[in-house]
Amino acid sequence: MTIEVSELSKAFVTGRKARRKTVDAVRDISFSVAAGERVAFIGPNGAGKSTSIKMLTGILHPSAGTISVLGLVPWQQRRQLAMRIGTLFGQRSQLWFELTPRQSFRMLGAIFGLSDQHLVRRVDELGELLDAGHLWDTPVRSQSLGQRMRCELAACMLHEPEILFLDEPTIGLDLLGKQLFRDLIVRLNQQRNTTIFLTSHDVADIESVAERVIVINHGEVIYDDSVEAMRRSLFATKYVDVGLAHPAEAPSLVGVTIAQHSPTMLRLVVDTEAQSIGTVVNAVLSSLPVADLSIADPPLESVIASIYSTARTP
Amino acid sequence: MNGLQATFRGACAQAWANRRGFWFEITVMILNDLVWVVFWVLFFHRVGTVRGWNTNRILMLQAILTTGGGIVLGVFANARNIGRLAADGELDAALALPVPTLAYILVRKIQALNLGDTIFGVVLFVAIGHPSPSRVAMFLGGSAIAATVLTGFLVLIGSSSFFVGRNEGSELGFHAIVMFGSYPIDVFTGAGRAMLYSVVPAAFIAAVPARLVDSFDPGLAAGAAAAAVVFATLGVVAFNLGLRRYTSGNVWKL
Amino acid sequence: MNLRILRTAFGTATRRALREPGSFFVATGFYVAVVAMVGTLWRVAAASHHGTLAGYTAVGLFWYIAASESATMAISLRLVEEIGDDIVSGAIAVEMLRPVSVVAVRIAAEFGRAVPKLISCILAGTAVSLVVVGPPRNVGAALLSAISLVLAILCNIAAQHAFAGIAFWIRDARSTWFLYQKFVFVLGGMLLPIQILPTALEQIARALPFTAMAYAPARLAAGFFEPELLLVQSAWLVVLIGVAAATFQAGERRLQVVGG
Repeated sequence: MTIEVSELSKAFVTGRKARRKTVDAVRDISFSVAAGERVAFIGPNGAGKSTSIKMLTGILHPSAGTISVLGLVPWQQRRQLAMRIGTLFGQRSQLWFELTPRQSFRMLGAIFGLSDQHLVRRVDELGELLDAGHLWDTPVRSQSLGQRMRCELAACMLHEPEILFLDEPTIGLDLLGKQLFRDLIVRLNQQRNTTIFLTSHDVADIESVAERVIVINHGEVIYDDSVEAMRRSLFATKYVDVGLAHPAEAPSLVGVTIAQHSPTMLRLVVDTEAQSIGTVVNAVLSSLPVADLSIADPPLESVIASIYSTARTP
Repeated sequence: MNGLQATFRGACAQAWANRRGFWFEITVMILNDLVWVVFWVLFFHRVGTVRGWNTNRILMLQAILTTGGGIVLGVFANARNIGRLAADGELDAALALPVPTLAYILVRKIQALNLGDTIFGVVLFVAIGHPSPSRVAMFLGGSAIAATVLTGFLVLIGSSSFFVGRNEGSELGFHAIVMFGSYPIDVFTGAGRAMLYSVVPAAFIAAVPARLVDSFDPGLAAGAAAAAVVFATLGVVAFNLGLRRYTSGNVWKL
Repeated sequence: MNLRILRTAFGTATRRALREPGSFFVATGFYVAVVAMVGTLWRVAAASHHGTLAGYTAVGLFWYIAASESATMAISLRLVEEIGDDIVSGAIAVEMLRPVSVVAVRIAAEFGRAVPKLISCILAGTAVSLVVVGPPRNVGAALLSAISLVLAILCNIAAQHAFAGIAFWIRDARSTWFLYQKFVFVLGGMLLPIQILPTALEQIARALPFTAMAYAPARLAAGFFEPELLLVQSAWLVVLIGVAAATFQAGERRLQVVGG
């Protein structure tokens, strides 16, 4: 196994003196990940995702339990581990703000002990893979967030890591930027067999990147299964929001329930196992005075609520 | 080129990226330091000597303080930021790299403003220090001791943030040591004086090394070197103990 | 000008300052350390001159430093830089949309921010001075010094706004405060009584506004009953506020031209 986690816990002590209290950020979690897997580690804000991923990468020391990543104990062999993994944490940058990515890569290459020829080849390669070669000579300062994220990703992959840890990598990106980024991650995994371990609270990240989902809530693992299985049971729901030009009756369709209905707005909850989105949208467009239309994933909170309402960890 | 050298080069390139700002800041700092020289010249012109201190001695003290302090605050600019970085969870990026964390952080950022101090200090020494080979050697050694003690002290007080969370003590400690360091230490006697050789080691970042340039004393030199070793060690130990309790900004501040 | 807006700005800033006990602690702690150091230096210096230096006694010099340091430390150390940052970042443009004088509101708010620190500096300074050198030579003058401190701080805030307004033109706010601060240190009498300066320099210092920011309250605290100092400060205050307002008005026009 590439990653083995067993009975891992982390407690933080907060506040001073009289108001001191202990917060259990992670409680007793166990799981393992095989080489080449794409795992999404998800949960709402404050669930313990970041704390867990930071223990896996050796940044935080756990309060109890054991971790083995590539056969190493992260917080004891942090530097050895850092040579073999890549980490991308939200908006914590590895790049020098005033310099071009190529300059930063040269520093990072030296840090990772890459030879000059090797580095040059690798930077070209990543430019092609990430479709970002044209960004290498523009100072980070004058790049957009999406462009910066691609440069950050290149920075954490210079040394050809065996595992990529990505903490909320798509946060702050626009819709298109997110999709581009997701495609990249999948391509990396397929071409290099790089293990991907990513945290997110965006349902779409999970659906389009991961093969397997681990859900964490209040510091505990509450679900661990393939995305396929989750899609069947939990992601089979889509919201269709219709803005109405004037009040109208909602259509009645199999597998569709009405969540909200006002004179100006209608929300349909579609069970995509029973009814295709296309049929629903066609019916809406032909029978209603549509002023606006959007299709959305349910928020992660409602996915988690349905995990609780169905079964516990299988 | 090893990792830390590379990091240092990156920091240099970053500081150098805005060339106009770079020289502007250095000029401003040199003017600033010059005002202190003016103050001391005026002071001793009027007062004569105070407990053995005169214009020459205080200018030597200023030369060492600005050279050593400039190295710390200019080249190891993050020495002053350890408390904030630790409390706000900004060490993540450093911890994700295969480098010694403290050393990496120290060389990661250069502050042009304070490089002006170092330039000023060296020029001041050349101007008033009667440089001879042995005095130059003592000046360099003394500045190195001053820089080491100051770095160790700043890392030590900054690391308190790992244990008690963000606190203003390190900011106070910084201002206090530099302020006490820049005055003739002998106006204090008794407990006040003892404090400046221990808890707030202001004596070692200026007065003691300056004394060594003017009248070398092996005992005093050994004491200063020992202080450098002690504070460097305390800083490193406190930082590494602190890292175990690093929370990466994950705890909601209540 | 609507006085209620100024009162609100003042009150909000005071309450916010009180909610940051940490920076309060640093300011007061540093203040005590500086007074102990610099005050002792001057006391020792006077003692080596048979007890008086340029007409100041050792006791008077200690009180002098306690007051001059209160006057400068009650104000945010980097005020010039902060104002300059707001100008360069464009935050000031938003304030200019409001139907009140930007300078007046900012001065009221800065004064509000300074008042709690000023009070704690006065208390700490009085305590330290009483312990180290005993009561002031002239209690009446010392009481006037408290009023003079308020005027000194207002003068200083107004002058910093005038100075920081340069950022409208040079677009670089950093570092400028260093130089400003040094003028106050030497020519304003913060580090040393202006009577210590060579005569020519003393004459220059007397002609400049910086003496209103440190020397005036310090001279009173040192035991010289010279109420006319308050008049001089008031006059400078009017001038400095005028200059600050003019600078900001010119800067505002420039912002509109540049479209900043």
